[in-house]
Amino acid sequence: MRHLLLIDEAEYEIGLVPAPTGDGDGAYRLLLGDEIIPVSLEGTVLTVGPAREKVAVAVDGNVAFVHFRGRAHRVEFRDAIDRFAKGAVGGGADSIAAPMPGSVVSVAVSAGDAVHAGQVLMVIESMKLETAIKAPRDGVIETVHVAPAKTFNKGAALIALQAAE
Amino acid sequence: MRLIESLIDTTSADFQANATHNRNLAEGLRERHRKARFERPVRDLERLARQGKMTVRERIEALLDPGTPFFELSTLAANQAYGGEVPGAAIVTGIGIIAGQEVVIHADDPAVKGGAWYPLSVKKIVRALDIAVENRLPVVHLCDSAGGFLPLQADLFADKYLAGRIFRNQSILSKLGVPQVAIVLGHCTAGGAYIPALSEYNVIVRGTGAIFLGGPPLVKAATGEVVTVDELGGCDTHTQISGTADYPADSERHALAIARDIVGTWKRAEKLKIERIRPEDPHYDPQELYGIIPRDIKVQFDMREVIARLVDGSRFHEYQPAYGTTLICGFAHLWGMRVGIIGNNGVLFNDSSLKGAHFMQLCDQNRTPILFLQNITGYMVGREYEHRGITKDGAKMIMAVSGLEVPKITVIVNGSFGAGNYGMSGRAFDPRFLFMWPQSQISVMGADQAANVLTELKVRQATRGGDTLSAEAVSAIREPILEDYRRLSGAYYSTSEMWDDGILDPVDTRNALGITLSATLNRPIDRPHFGVFRM
Repeated sequence: MRHLLLIDEAEYEIGLVPAPTGDGDGAYRLLLGDEIIPVSLEGTVLTVGPAREKVAVAVDGNVAFVHFRGRAHRVEFRDAIDRFAKGAVGGGADSIAAPMPGSVVSVAVSAGDAVHAGQVLMVIESMKLETAIKAPRDGVIETVHVAPAKTFNKGAALIALQAAE
Repeated sequence: MRLIESLIDTTSADFQANATHNRNLAEGLRERHRKARFERPVRDLERLARQGKMTVRERIEALLDPGTPFFELSTLAANQAYGGEVPGAAIVTGIGIIAGQEVVIHADDPAVKGGAWYPLSVKKIVRALDIAVENRLPVVHLCDSAGGFLPLQADLFADKYLAGRIFRNQSILSKLGVPQVAIVLGHCTAGGAYIPALSEYNVIVRGTGAIFLGGPPLVKAATGEVVTVDELGGCDTHTQISGTADYPADSERHALAIARDIVGTWKRAEKLKIERIRPEDPHYDPQELYGIIPRDIKVQFDMREVIARLVDGSRFHEYQPAYGTTLICGFAHLWGMRVGIIGNNGVLFNDSSLKGAHFMQLCDQNRTPILFLQNITGYMVGREYEHRGITKDGAKMIMAVSGLEVPKITVIVNGSFGAGNYGMSGRAFDPRFLFMWPQSQISVMGADQAANVLTELKVRQATRGGDTLSAEAVSAIREPILEDYRRLSGAYYSTSEMWDDGILDPVDTRNALGITLSATLNRPIDRPHFGVFRM
């Protein structure tokens, strides 16, 4: 499967394979559309086909910033697993169910509140352990089903989010 | 492998409060380490200077390759024993590099009670040699001990894992073809005399080094013979007459140089071939670990946030991401070495237990060492879970963890309670190394629950005659119980008793795992085979 790169917002599906031995270390073949382009990075010199450029590269996780000819380009590697997962971005269920039996320690939100993914909605306790229940996605709280000190069984609905549009 | 997406808000008040709390704990740990390593009574240091001896730290520094790390083990052993007067249990142990070779170091500390062996000193030497046996690491002994501490001899002499085990382990190492060199820098008397005698190589310092079963006073008392230390067991006696020692040395530095040369002649062990890539720093700053570990041990946190700050590039391939979600399983690289990771994300249920046992078999099959990250209150209780077989599912995990042939390393990140400690590769399950973080607690059950049970028993005794107790009276019973229980479940008590190999500053954990994981790879591993899993 080819990789997806976002270069300054433009999308490119590319493949990168090691060049046959004899081309030296750091030599690859770039597959782009039907083209096969010899590329290499030796020290700070990037070769793409016949073109040679002196570049500076800074890597931050899945994003690389490549600087040449006085301009920086943002190159983002989009992981195929994230790319093809349904609802990977802004996804998540509408209803949050209790992961285990327990009791409610505190509730941090009420109906109508706007919440963002990862925000703590309530804290529950089970088996001597406090667990924060977090928003699975950005959204608005529709209903809070439980109040502090209330006990619940596994699978009980704790909080509902308004259905995503 | 995918980059873990961290959901931590590093600007939140909670994160900041955790960070302050955990940084203070780390600072406290560093201070205790400094004291245990360097604070010694002036008269002991003066005595060493008079004898022309180096301190144990100076000796180790001179012994190791310059610029290489010394990974010290159990620095705070005995910190809560013997009135706190025997720092490090009078022994320094660790893994260092000599002539490019990983070795285990065992060094007596002559500035602590003349290097006398206390019961925990013996435990520390035995543990260091266990590490050498389990990981096939050569050993360098720096011998300078006054001998066993007589008032406590009953606790250090006769039982299976006491002093005799030192010499048994030395013999087993030799049988396995793992070499040892002993450097005799002081008197090696009685049992201590066998350490150089059982090493394939030993070096003795002229003037200060001596080896004998009984010193001159004992000889005189036993047979009436009057003899000097040198005549009885000094450098020239043993290197020229008895053949008990191999290499004479003119000074400590001379002896250390000879020992380095000896290690340089040893054949280097071939490392186990595991999947390796070029190492990469974690994408997320390990300093953020301070803000992630909640200041209250009862509060749950996502172990993926910890994994993201330990592994190469913060990249993790999560196995069965939707099943048994209270146990995180997956693959990552640590300093370029592929590892399987099993970390707690809540109570162990039936599904998470099955997932754990299954993943362990998978790692054993594909020859991947396993890192266990413990934060566990135990296995889920209740009718529904018993009916589904939570006990036999926990037993599956224990069967799997016991039967693993691949190396395991365990880090107790926060809580380690009940049978969860077992299924997650606690001390009894022979992880090659086990470390704790400063805040962690380890006990049969949590302090509050245990204190409640114990208090109830005492209250029942007190009210047997029909009396009733006031709330203050109950609290007066409960508070000391709780305090005592907390102390005995704390990381400093654990490390004092050597239930672990040391307490780690969370930010040092990645390096510690790199060194120890590399050390585990010196030993070939057997094919996967397990006992019977109760299905």
